[in-house]
Amino acid sequence: MTAAKSELELRREFNDLSLRLRPDLYRYAFWLGRDRQLAEDVVQEALLRGWKAFGNLEDASSAKAWLVSIVRREFARTFERKRLETVDFKDFEEQLSSAEDDPRLDEMRHAIFELDDDYREPLALQVLMGHTAREIAQLMELTEGAVLTRLHRARARLKQTLGMAQVADDNEH
Amino acid sequence: MEHEGKNLRDDNIGPGGDDAFESLLARALRIDVPAAGAPAAVRRPRRWLSLAVAASVLIAVGVTVNNYYDARYFSSGDLATDVMAHMNHEPASLRRTESVVATGEFDQVLQQAGARLSVAPPAVSYVRLCPFRGHMVAHFVVQASHGPVTVLLLPEEQVDTQVSLDEDGFIGTIVPLQDGGSIAVVGEADEDISEVRDQVANALRWRL
Repeated sequence: MTAAKSELELRREFNDLSLRLRPDLYRYAFWLGRDRQLAEDVVQEALLRGWKAFGNLEDASSAKAWLVSIVRREFARTFERKRLETVDFKDFEEQLSSAEDDPRLDEMRHAIFELDDDYREPLALQVLMGHTAREIAQLMELTEGAVLTRLHRARARLKQTLGMAQVADDNEH
Repeated sequence: MEHEGKNLRDDNIGPGGDDAFESLLARALRIDVPAAGAPAAVRRPRRWLSLAVAASVLIAVGVTVNNYYDARYFSSGDLATDVMAHMNHEPASLRRTESVVATGEFDQVLQQAGARLSVAPPAVSYVRLCPFRGHMVAHFVVQASHGPVTVLLLPEEQVDTQVSLDEDGFIGTIVPLQDGGSIAVVGEADEDISEVRDQVANALRWRL
């Protein structure tokens, strides 16, 4: 972003960016906390923070990754401040409309819900946000290899839970 | 202890290995998103936000909900090659049939892909939200005079001029649109795809 841009131009750019990315930022935040209201609040706060700092963003192409990192930090801040209660699957289920036409969708969501946070987050970053393993590694402060392992294990667990893998090739534990 | 992923690479962890699984996973993660500011069904009072700050931003954010930037899916780097590969990847879509998809389903997929058609094609036999080069796009099939004609709506793919495709008995075109983005239209070699191409190109509007 350059200093030459007027506030109106910046606002338009940020509005466009927010419109485009908000759905997946919301979904990412939802899968972090597994709670709709939390996701909504975290994303709104993150977008407010993003807007305040948007004029200082030098590389527009990094805006998506930048906003994801803000959402992640905001979630961590909220979690720390509020010491969130454990999410119960029943509460979680009530927040999602049941996929009557495809019961496998509910099964998959249940399986994702049950994943450890360490596995669920990189999966959401990859599938929802389109992040590469390298980008996830930078964001989560892990090695790329560790991210790939987590992605592999996450999928193996989901397949195992759903009975979609004949042989679970997860060697952990 | 976590392995260092010696035998794991980005391109074998994720989309591509098991289409049914990946599709289900992406759909499961892609929960419906309320418009910003919309009242939740059961809403606890907001406890720590001051919404007055930068209200204009939030209002703008809350206008519509579109669905872009989903999964990361790999491409050859060449748009025409990727269009043909994607079409061949879903052979079930290419059958001749008289059955058509419901209008509501068609509209919903287009909406999720950030598109709308002012006039829908008359005989859509297949519609799906598909991962394509890092974005979720609308893929549908129109039953034309000689058989199925595949259409991909590509809001994020810019081409300077019309690109022709001719491969494995199929012909097609990728057409730049005035509002940005493009559409790909592919049919069997003896099909006149111009009618579908023109109809879709004229009726298409991006939702952004």
